[in-house]
Amino acid sequence: MTDKIIRIRNLTKDIPKEAKLLCDAVLKELENANRPVLEAVKCSLDNSEYDPKVGFLTPGDKRVRTELNVSSVQKMARVIFLLEILLQNLKSGMVNTKRELYYIAKGQVKSTPKLKPLDFADQDESDSIVDFIGDMMEVYREELNCFANDRGGQTYSQQLVVTETLSDGSTATIDLSTLGTSPFQPKNKPQALKLKARKKIDFCLVVESEGTAGTLVANGMTKRHNCIVMGAQGVPSNGVRGWCKLIQNQLKVPIYFFGDLDAYTMQNIFRTLKAGSAASLIRNADFSAPEVRFLGVLPEDVKKYDLHCYQVRENDQAEARSLKKAKDALANDPFFQDKKNRRLAAILEWLVKNKLRCEQQALFSVNPKDPLMCEKIIVDKIKAGSFV
Amino acid sequence: MTKKITSSSTAEYFAKNLQQVGFSSPTKAVLTTLKEAFDNALDACEEHGILPEVHVSIKKVGTGASKSTDLVEIIVEDNGPGIDPDDLSKVFGEYLASSKFGRGQCTRGQQGIGISAATTWAQLTNAMGARVTTKTARMRKAVTAVIDVDIKGNKGVLKQKDTVDWDIPHGTRVEFRIDGRVQLNGDGGLLTYVEGTTLVNPHLTLHYELPDMEKKTVERVSTVSPEIPSATLPHPHTMKLGEFMTHAHLYGKVEFSKFLKTGFSRVTDLTIKEFVKNGMAKALLGKPVMKMTEDEFKTAFAVIQKTELQQPSTRSVLTVGEEALSKSILRLGAVDFFSVMTRKPRIADFKPVVVEVALARFLDRGGGDESIQLLRFANRVPLQFDKSACAITKAVESVNWRAYGLGQSKDSLPLGPYVFAVSVVSPFIKFKNASKETIDGSEELIEEIRRALMQAGQKLSRHIRKESREADLERKLQHIEQFGPILVEGLVRITGAPESRKKRAEEGLKKLLGRDTRDAEAALSDAQTKLAALKERNRKLGIGDEDGDGGTGEDGGGGEDMAAMDDGDIIKKTTKKGKKGDKGEPRTTTLKEAISARNALPAVKAVASGTTAKAATTTTTTGKKA
Repeated sequence: MTDKIIRIRNLTKDIPKEAKLLCDAVLKELENANRPVLEAVKCSLDNSEYDPKVGFLTPGDKRVRTELNVSSVQKMARVIFLLEILLQNLKSGMVNTKRELYYIAKGQVKSTPKLKPLDFADQDESDSIVDFIGDMMEVYREELNCFANDRGGQTYSQQLVVTETLSDGSTATIDLSTLGTSPFQPKNKPQALKLKARKKIDFCLVVESEGTAGTLVANGMTKRHNCIVMGAQGVPSNGVRGWCKLIQNQLKVPIYFFGDLDAYTMQNIFRTLKAGSAASLIRNADFSAPEVRFLGVLPEDVKKYDLHCYQVRENDQAEARSLKKAKDALANDPFFQDKKNRRLAAILEWLVKNKLRCEQQALFSVNPKDPLMCEKIIVDKIKAGSFV
Repeated sequence: MTKKITSSSTAEYFAKNLQQVGFSSPTKAVLTTLKEAFDNALDACEEHGILPEVHVSIKKVGTGASKSTDLVEIIVEDNGPGIDPDDLSKVFGEYLASSKFGRGQCTRGQQGIGISAATTWAQLTNAMGARVTTKTARMRKAVTAVIDVDIKGNKGVLKQKDTVDWDIPHGTRVEFRIDGRVQLNGDGGLLTYVEGTTLVNPHLTLHYELPDMEKKTVERVSTVSPEIPSATLPHPHTMKLGEFMTHAHLYGKVEFSKFLKTGFSRVTDLTIKEFVKNGMAKALLGKPVMKMTEDEFKTAFAVIQKTELQQPSTRSVLTVGEEALSKSILRLGAVDFFSVMTRKPRIADFKPVVVEVALARFLDRGGGDESIQLLRFANRVPLQFDKSACAITKAVESVNWRAYGLGQSKDSLPLGPYVFAVSVVSPFIKFKNASKETIDGSEELIEEIRRALMQAGQKLSRHIRKESREADLERKLQHIEQFGPILVEGLVRITGAPESRKKRAEEGLKKLLGRDTRDAEAALSDAQTKLAALKERNRKLGIGDEDGDGGTGEDGGGGEDMAAMDDGDIIKKTTKKGKKGDKGEPRTTTLKEAISARNALPAVKAVASGTTAKAATTTTTTGKKA
């Protein structure tokens, strides 16, 4: 059954075999009354490295070590418990979400009273163990048959044709021009898709707001231009990240991101789309699109189009936190520290200095009588090279 | 046409502004009346070296004349020296008539406003002032009278004066009937007042009867009546420039150096030499103070302020003392453990001040997630309103109690079934208002209170740490029992290992975790040793056993722990189970008993004693990069 699951990458690792070897090594240590140690890649900003030639955040050499002692025995027992469930899934070919895994674990505890001490009080507890297993084995959770909910990535185009290989080996072809007003939404295993353009596609526009992406399409942008318009729906999910990577690799079209001018968008949304995140260091290679460019809103657009801005309210916890994170990013994030991205860092600096934010929808204020004004500005900016 | 300017008497002013002196609501009126009468009783006893025995009775005797109030009768009777009948009208009926005003002493009453205000409130709400019965040692019969306030003239008026038999050698009984409402519990409650007053007055025997409660007696735990310090000369650092100059002019033609030596405490010939070293002109010292210019005063004052002087006399402030406080705190209920701290006198806000702190955990109060009960005292008078603005509250909130093992949200009061009593004593406490409910705190004063709290917190943490070590050991024992077998079984299932490997792994696991358990035992033992050392030190200082409940035991509490340490083998463990109902009788089991009862570690004893177990860190990060 395992072969029928669509592979995300060409993984040479035999996960069940490696898991067995790891458990055998732990058992051996115990037999010898030595303390076994579980090691995993440390997925955090202080272990993130950025090489402009690679284009995404990669892990450094730091490891998280969990050595067996009275305090860690619970975590170790939980790791082995969930690993066993995941291995069973791999064997049977079944897939689950993290939430489902949480309930499967609860079910097992319920049916086997001896396991009661392992019970998870909430999903965060089981999620962290699943993540640890992935980081420990250096495999994607999808490779452990654990998939996330699909969110965002609604895509519109008159030129794009997608061929999906299904788990039974058959294929399905989706011509996006035939979907009417409905978008195509990639699953979070976009690597199972093959892309083709019926006509040369000039650019792909990723819009932060799904609503604004819908407006641009409804007003005819995909009809007037040979393009792909995609809604990111906030912080890009794995599905959106993999999908952008796929468009970048297979279609080789320029990708532009259009979103708010604020620290949150720059750091959490755009940086994640372009270079991945610190929390997913081992998977950024397949889940980031380093070619994506920041089209706006740029600080110069605010001046040029006299866009309405909001003052960042420092007494608003979320906004204050975002501003603080921006300062931290300038000081510690290798992505913003790299000279290749100095123009992006300059935008963050501008935001920190001016304490302003401008929303993407502000472009609709430029000429309220012209419903196409937003589209015109976007296209003009692409033509004029007004992006970072 | 200009309006006619009138002048009104002090009594008129206060009669119109009783809310400023604690009569802002019917509930506060009852408490303030009790407080003023009680303060006077205690001050009078202490001034004459009498151990106070006070009877308090508060009853609802009818419906109040004002809306939604009761007619409340408040009686306070003491065994004090009694009041000369000629002074009765002044004491109870005249504002600012006080024997204590501006004397620089640590008495409870200071200005002579409170009891007259209570009389006024009774008069305004019930058309009758205070009924007072008093007898001095020289009188054969007691005098009884009703005193009203002549509001226009700020004078007391004696009515219904009579003599009666009273079979006590001396004392005073004051009775008020006022419109009010009775609140027993909470920050502003009568019980809180009674408890607080009891706590800081170990020499007090109190009989009290409050509505819906049985009559109670709290016996004194100290037979030493605190000596009210005599008023001492001011300390140069307690003055501001203006005060300094005014003070100087009282001395007329005397030389400046003589004025300094006779007008202040802590100024001697040696100090004068220090002043000269610090830049005071010698010529100035010989100049008569009357001839000194303003600039000369300023320069001299600056030099005095920057010169380090001996601290103000400890005789000018009064303390309850750690020993008395330790005994007194046990009167509040079943105490689990406590710590007390009396700081040395310091200068804050230009005044000598002493801070005392008592922290206690009670067996029958509050829960783990409720804020501690904070009892604030100024010159041994409980402060019960406007808590948040008080310097004491600010100081408590500024301490990081988590470091001492208590729960606490940022900048808030800590959590738990604790009572924190903080007493500030000073001849001149700066209050925020005339009703003396809140201490106005400078940074200096808050820091001084904070230090006292931190020192008491450190002592408290010894007890808490011992408990947390016990809990830690308990948790570790549980972990071994619960997770060990599950871990091994999971590994065996995944690898398909045979039964023999499973057994070996189980044995190995027991050895490993057994080492950790011994580490936890060692940590507990260390915590117990430190606590025992603290107890021993306290015993030497004459402070009672800080284990509140253990103090009632035959062994005298800490002795058990010391014995256990000497033995080196048995570790005593006080179980927290049944804490609330099980007062005074901590159940003890030895840890070895607990371990063997679990039958979980047969292999522990077999491990070589020299094995060094690793620290119980769960997750560490290591950078392999060179």
